[in-house]
Amino acid sequence: MRSLVALSRANLRSFVRDRPALFWTLAFPIIFVLLFGTIFSGGGKLNYNIGWVDQDGSAAAKQLRAGFVGTDLVTLNDGTLQAERDAMQHGDIDGIIVVPAGLGQATDPSHAGGAVTLQVYIDPTRTNASQGLVQIANAVTMGANLALSGRPPAIAVHTETLQTQRLTNVSYFVPSILGMALMQLGIFAAIPLVQQREKLILKRLNATPLPRRTLVASNIVVRLVIAAVQTLLIVVIGQRVLGVELIGNVLAIAGVVVLGALTFTSIGYVIASFARTEETANGMTSVVQFPLMFLSGIFFPLEIMPDWLRGVATFLPLTYLGDALRQTMVGGAPFVPLGVDLAVMAGWLAVCFLVSARFFRWQ
Amino acid sequence: MTFEVGAGEIFGLLGPNGAGKTTTMEMLEGLASPDAGTLRVLGLDPTRDAPRIKERIGVQLQTAALFPQLTVSELIELFGTFYPRSIAVNQLLDELDLQEKRGAQTKTLSGGQRQRLSVALALVNDPELVFLDEPTTGLDPAARHSLWQLILRLKAEGRTVLMTTHYMEEAEGLCDRVAIIDHGRILDAGTVDELVHRRFHERTVRFDRIGALADSTLAALPGVSRVANEEGQVVLHTADVAQTIGALLDAAAAAGTEPANLMIRRATLEDVFLELTGRGLRD
Repeated sequence: MRSLVALSRANLRSFVRDRPALFWTLAFPIIFVLLFGTIFSGGGKLNYNIGWVDQDGSAAAKQLRAGFVGTDLVTLNDGTLQAERDAMQHGDIDGIIVVPAGLGQATDPSHAGGAVTLQVYIDPTRTNASQGLVQIANAVTMGANLALSGRPPAIAVHTETLQTQRLTNVSYFVPSILGMALMQLGIFAAIPLVQQREKLILKRLNATPLPRRTLVASNIVVRLVIAAVQTLLIVVIGQRVLGVELIGNVLAIAGVVVLGALTFTSIGYVIASFARTEETANGMTSVVQFPLMFLSGIFFPLEIMPDWLRGVATFLPLTYLGDALRQTMVGGAPFVPLGVDLAVMAGWLAVCFLVSARFFRWQ
Repeated sequence: MTFEVGAGEIFGLLGPNGAGKTTTMEMLEGLASPDAGTLRVLGLDPTRDAPRIKERIGVQLQTAALFPQLTVSELIELFGTFYPRSIAVNQLLDELDLQEKRGAQTKTLSGGQRQRLSVALALVNDPELVFLDEPTTGLDPAARHSLWQLILRLKAEGRTVLMTTHYMEEAEGLCDRVAIIDHGRILDAGTVDELVHRRFHERTVRFDRIGALADSTLAALPGVSRVANEEGQVVLHTADVAQTIGALLDAAAAAGTEPANLMIRRATLEDVFLELTGRGLRD
């Protein structure tokens, strides 16, 4: 026990004094969180620039306009349809809403005529703005319809939906990037191991009575301590700087973090089992980490991936760690049930453990 | 290969590169397993009782690097925790003359300092038996000398030392007994005197050539078995140095001179080594 504590402290000291390692495991993920957090929260409040073409001019149309403005999600620019279409072509506005003539009549309680249709122009290539605008338009018109029908309003609910949608991007990224950071932390465990073997440090340790299980345990302790620091930093920055609300149970989150760190550390051990030199180990960590990073739904939600790519993602352990973290931290929509996430990670852990136990060389 | 090292002895393994010195050491240290044969270290079998042996031995490996980011005292302290019993860090720093470098990260140490730290780590558990694999290779003469003093002190403290070396004068000056090995076999073993006398019964007497004394005259001196010429010097091989020199001085006096740069030389370990392996130790 004394040697485990001492060796873990020695390894942590080495880690802290190794500036590049410190940068890649701690600073790099934080930079990612801040960068993506800022990009996807639109630098602050989300707001779409929308062209407003009022072909009706009635009081009801003015009221509807006030309804849109009241959401605080859109800025309206009045103009003719032609002028607004030109502006949209130039990218000056995100979409156009056309209020057709006859709105005033249709909303007049004494009038029994048919409904009028709001025309909404969107650009499908700009996914976020299009979806946002359609949802806003639906919510506002639904609110207006409900108000007209005199039934108790459920508008507040829809406003909430829009709020969550606005937060989803950042909320999505914070747990995802924590997953990425844990993945890197674990896989990079291979580097000091291979270094210590190459420099015969492992051999020298083997000439002492220190049991190998203590050596392995100390490496795991070190990875878990760093994982805890990473998690704390990313969560605090997510909450304080990006305003992401953690809804999950702290113990559940900690459990997922520990399992994730262990799983990827075991992958690091597999790399260390097959890499003879530090250069090979560096190459292999890159080969493993980049596909994981880009194909596991860290930067792009799995739902928007093409089917074949999603097929690939279902084999990658980071898909499940990211999914489990999103579920436990921010209540993200499950890709698979949490139990499946945990089972897949445990499976990877078991397989990698057996492979390294079989192939790892101490000298 | 069969040899035995007695308690309290300094035993040297000598051999050309690739002779099997390091492999032999590593099998005894419990770092490599033998294909066949029997090993006993402190009465225990390294293939079965490695953990118990490792508690009582100190090991200095030929090329092992150290945790590069730890400081000297941190590293000694760390190794101390691996053993049930350990020597105080300060004492080791004093003994190995590392006090000045205690706060330096090991990657910044010079070759000599690194070697001293490596020996300090081998002593951290106050071992009964110390393995030193080429402990003075790459050291400057002063550092080598101070390490020799340390090794002699280890013996004085009652420890047993098993070492390999490249340096003949190191083996002659330190080792109670040596074994010369090549291709995994012991060619000969014993004290340095035994090894030399087993092969070289004669001494050589050398002096600057004296014109008046012909080789035939010298060959007739008592005890002389052979006369050779080397770089302006005459070399007489003799089984009886005293008689040969007495007669030589008389003959020179009769010719009105005396031998200059007269020197008696006996065969050295280096001669033994060359004869046994057919190559120099550092080839």
